[in-house]
Amino acid sequence: MLADALRAEAYRFSLNRFQVFVSVLLTPLLFALGGALFHMMSKAKGDEAADKLGLAIPASATPVNLGEAFSFAASGSANGVILICMLIGAATIYAGDYRWESWRLISARNDRLSLILAKVGVIKLLAIATSLAFLAASFIFLVAQAIVYERGISFSIDGAEAGRAALIWLLSYVRIVQFTMIALLAAVMTRSLLAALFLPWALGFVQSILGTAMPLLGWEPQMWLPQLLMPGLAYDTLKAAVAPGPLIAPLTDATVWRSLTGLALWTVLPLVAALAWFRRQDLSKE
Amino acid sequence: MRIIAAQGQSHPMSTATERPVIEVRGLTKTYGPVRALDGLDLSIPRGGVYGVLGPNGAGKSTLFRILLGLIRPTQGMASVMGGPVGQVASMRRMGSMIETPRFPPYMTARQVLRWLALEHGVGAEVDIPSWLERVGLVEAADRKVKGFSVGMLQRLGVAAALMSKPELVILDEPTSGMDPPGIQEMRALIRSLADDDGVTVVLASHQLLEVQRICDRVAIMHRGRLVREGAVSELTATGERLRLSASPTARILERLGDRGVMDGAAVLANVTRAEGPALIRALVQDGVEIDEARWVGDDLESVFFTETGSTRAPEPSHAG
Repeated sequence: MLADALRAEAYRFSLNRFQVFVSVLLTPLLFALGGALFHMMSKAKGDEAADKLGLAIPASATPVNLGEAFSFAASGSANGVILICMLIGAATIYAGDYRWESWRLISARNDRLSLILAKVGVIKLLAIATSLAFLAASFIFLVAQAIVYERGISFSIDGAEAGRAALIWLLSYVRIVQFTMIALLAAVMTRSLLAALFLPWALGFVQSILGTAMPLLGWEPQMWLPQLLMPGLAYDTLKAAVAPGPLIAPLTDATVWRSLTGLALWTVLPLVAALAWFRRQDLSKE
Repeated sequence: MRIIAAQGQSHPMSTATERPVIEVRGLTKTYGPVRALDGLDLSIPRGGVYGVLGPNGAGKSTLFRILLGLIRPTQGMASVMGGPVGQVASMRRMGSMIETPRFPPYMTARQVLRWLALEHGVGAEVDIPSWLERVGLVEAADRKVKGFSVGMLQRLGVAAALMSKPELVILDEPTSGMDPPGIQEMRALIRSLADDDGVTVVLASHQLLEVQRICDRVAIMHRGRLVREGAVSELTATGERLRLSASPTARILERLGDRGVMDGAAVLANVTRAEGPALIRALVQDGVEIDEARWVGDDLESVFFTETGSTRAPEPSHAG
């Protein structure tokens, strides 16, 4: 039953070309094109400045390492723009049957659990597709860099780097799924596509304000409360734990567990609440 | 002179020993203070076309919605195809169309059927072109449904309900929004489903004449309860009378006394079938010229209005 629902949901969404484009391709495409443009403009500015100074800038002998695309894509595939674009697709998938009054066509011949899980499954597939598209965009970004700056191309990635990229990719994937779960809950509870679109966005906005106001509130990132209230903070903390930067203090195990708990709760609780609500919902009203 | 058989039909029905396809016991659904269903008991046998009638608010749509698992009853039991409502194995033996169906606007008719076939687990088995042809949507097959008329949506909904070859089909107002040729085609389709494919069709309609024409049995609901149930031919046979188109009518009325009333230009004779031939012979001997004599029963509309306590709208008067 779940397999039928998943096939049907994926088929239906694939026909909605605009949504597929916005959810999967728009951000990677903008990133790739914007990146190429950025390289060209930077190069032009640099050349102009060099001309004025009468200097000749030699081409860098260091080739561009395409292996960096993996960590680049892994880290960037849950950025804010991608989350918003994914949200547009998620709102359509989760609230579409309310908007188009089509629940009564499908719910009479399949169990409700499968119908919702199929929608979640399609979102997961979209998240994977978006990550892959972003990986491709990262390659394009680096290749454009090599072409514009007349540098060579190499490919190297060691096991540790690959492992870190994979872990961060997994975290980004969970973050996308987590963010869209709010859209699921909003869609089921309000039956509204607009609510499914704007409530997660509004919640995310409030959480980002909270994140900025943490020092004023006397909160530290390693505390339970901020980690439980802000899944975005939990995601950033976990990314830092996987790939610590020079400016970030080493994280304690307790902090990592708090982040994991926060991210997991924000992923699972909306799903469970939506399922519980949906199981008893009157689907004759759309 | 022609003598025409009594009005009302008899269609083949299932034997009484077969398990009903739909059974509800003590079914109650309340919306706040409103009792949409009030302890409804109903058993719908396998085979034929079964009509569910009732005025607005009688509980027909609520009953259908419960049977399809769209809403939960407040009290009582409902089973479909031998299993409780909501059991997927039973529900998959059923097709349905509730009111005018809606579909995602960016899909074409063909895509809608493909999507629903996948959803219903029959993706590989369904011959979509033949279903589009059967409901008269071949030319519109690759048009987006957002431009469809209500009638076209209705046809597509019927195809969606039938394409998985269900044993039971529930249709709520299947001809609403259709033009007369469409209604006729739909009526023929519904009858052929029951007669040729052995599908049990349960439908609700406000068109009593339509129900009388295509249904074998009907249930009349009023205020959430069942007030009458039976074969259409049985329900309409009560009050059977002989309708005589003849002249002069005064002589017929004289012979019949208080057993005769005018019905337009004809006379309705309140006599039994056994008395009919003798009456006709006597009238001929009286010099009455009989153009037509036929047995007429109560139509379903009369039964409906009697059972639901509703009143007919007055006949429109034509001035000039």
